[in-house]
Amino acid sequence: MRILLHPPPRDRGSMIYAGSSERFALIISLSFALNSALFQRSMISSTAPSRKALSKIACGRLQKELVEWQVNPPSGFKHKVTDNLQSWIIEVVGAAGTLYANETYQLQVDFPEHYPMEAPQVIFLPAAPLHPHIYSNGHICLDILYDSWSPAMTVSSICVSIVSMLSSSTRKQRPADNDRYVRKCKNGRSPKETRWWFHDDKV
Amino acid sequence: MMAAMAEDDVRLEVEAVQAVYGDDSQIICDFPPHLTVHIKPRTADDSSQQFVETTIGIKASTKYPEEPPHIYITYMKGMDDGRQAHLITSIRKRAEELSSFPMLVALCEEAVDLLTNMNHPEGDCPLCLYPLLSDDRSGASLPFMKLMSCYHCFHCECMIRFWMWTQDKNETKEMNQTLETAPALVEVQRDDTSPAQVFQGSTNQQKGNCPVCRKVFDAKDIEHVLEYLAANSYVMNPVEAVIDEEDKAVLFSESQNNRRKKFDSILKLQQEKKGLIEPRKDLIIMPGMFLPESVEPATTSAEEDKIEECRDPARNHGLHLNGDLSMKATASKPNNSNRRRKGSFKGNINTESSRKQWVVKPINTSKQ
Repeated sequence: MRILLHPPPRDRGSMIYAGSSERFALIISLSFALNSALFQRSMISSTAPSRKALSKIACGRLQKELVEWQVNPPSGFKHKVTDNLQSWIIEVVGAAGTLYANETYQLQVDFPEHYPMEAPQVIFLPAAPLHPHIYSNGHICLDILYDSWSPAMTVSSICVSIVSMLSSSTRKQRPADNDRYVRKCKNGRSPKETRWWFHDDKV
Repeated sequence: MMAAMAEDDVRLEVEAVQAVYGDDSQIICDFPPHLTVHIKPRTADDSSQQFVETTIGIKASTKYPEEPPHIYITYMKGMDDGRQAHLITSIRKRAEELSSFPMLVALCEEAVDLLTNMNHPEGDCPLCLYPLLSDDRSGASLPFMKLMSCYHCFHCECMIRFWMWTQDKNETKEMNQTLETAPALVEVQRDDTSPAQVFQGSTNQQKGNCPVCRKVFDAKDIEHVLEYLAANSYVMNPVEAVIDEEDKAVLFSESQNNRRKKFDSILKLQQEKKGLIEPRKDLIIMPGMFLPESVEPATTSAEEDKIEECRDPARNHGLHLNGDLSMKATASKPNNSNRRRKGSFKGNINTESSRKQWVVKPINTSKQ
């Protein structure tokens, strides 16, 4: 199973890769030339973060997940109770016998309008754990959160993946491209807009 | 000599298994017998009604049948761990019971029986997390479907939503790719595309991945569901017959029949105990008609209430009037209230007094 992905090197970014400013300018000029509402819609669905309210189906599904969580939470995780169904704050305690034992971190899970068809956005709130696949801005390089998302997955199964990712780490360090990536995300870009690339699956 | 005879018996038994299961059985070794048999529940060969299947291996030693053979599962679909464990322990138990008898065919038949009994999807729809079947298996559950490649089950609606979403995503992806090369061309095409064509396009794309196990499935795997969708939102497909059949299957299913029986018996019981208030069909109710109390107690009491209500305003007005009067002339108060009370208790008999009050009121207000 592919587990980890990293952003591609700079030269491999595509047109939709709206990180660098010159590429963004290119997209704007193109869309003016086309003057196509369809084109813009496709842009929105592929890159813009969804801040719309949850659909009825998403609400039903999340309520069900919350009930299931209350009955049977994944071990090491605690859901901080709020009245916001669309954004969960989850407390993670590192598993015993690992580098992160007894350390507590916070995950923020934001659900898009069309959850579970679309993946939720999952980031660590500062301070993010030191890990070869976790950037200092909290973005997590884990394929199930992006390309490999399946609607049969749940918040609970994501949590299990994250704790296993933490547990299998052998050294506490940032990804090699941390500074470059974090600089790119300064404008508040969601990790879901990053085009992640397969990197390594050892950790 | 005895051993040779026993061996011949065992070989005959293996042949019997082959005869019964044909291509579903695979003989790995003739003697001592080692074979695998593909087991399906009894569904009269209707694969749409099949939710579980398995392949069991039976490996016997030279001491068979005195020593029961080893039984194991090599492959299975649609069963969770619990059901799988139940299957294997049940077959092994049967093998113990039958030891020293020829049992190969009997064991396979046992497996078929067990599978037939557990031939129903279990648990929740992986997409919405609500149960596929309601707990009592009688009532309000949504229609569901299964993927033939892996036997994972979903609500039809949920699967359609997932399919449309993935098709939509692929289309967007393709569109973005073509936009990069030839943007103008794509725009023209998009304008011409009717919903029906979009739908056609989505069926042409043939492949999807199971949300649970990512196993690739063909579009024809969910064809019936797509047809269902086509009939509902895109119309004009001759699939009404299919849906009618589905409806019939639901209407005359065992659970529905049981439900009907249950409600019929409750209705009969209520009728016997005269707990039902039924309108009499032969009776036409005319204004002013006398209705005996025993027939329709509800209506008569309602009528009484109405009469009370009619009187109430009069009573209130009377009291109000009395109060006003008492302010001015205290002597007349007991007399007046007395008369009013008589009116309210004796009803229509004392019409004069109540009529007097109605007459008195306007005079009183005009005075004020």
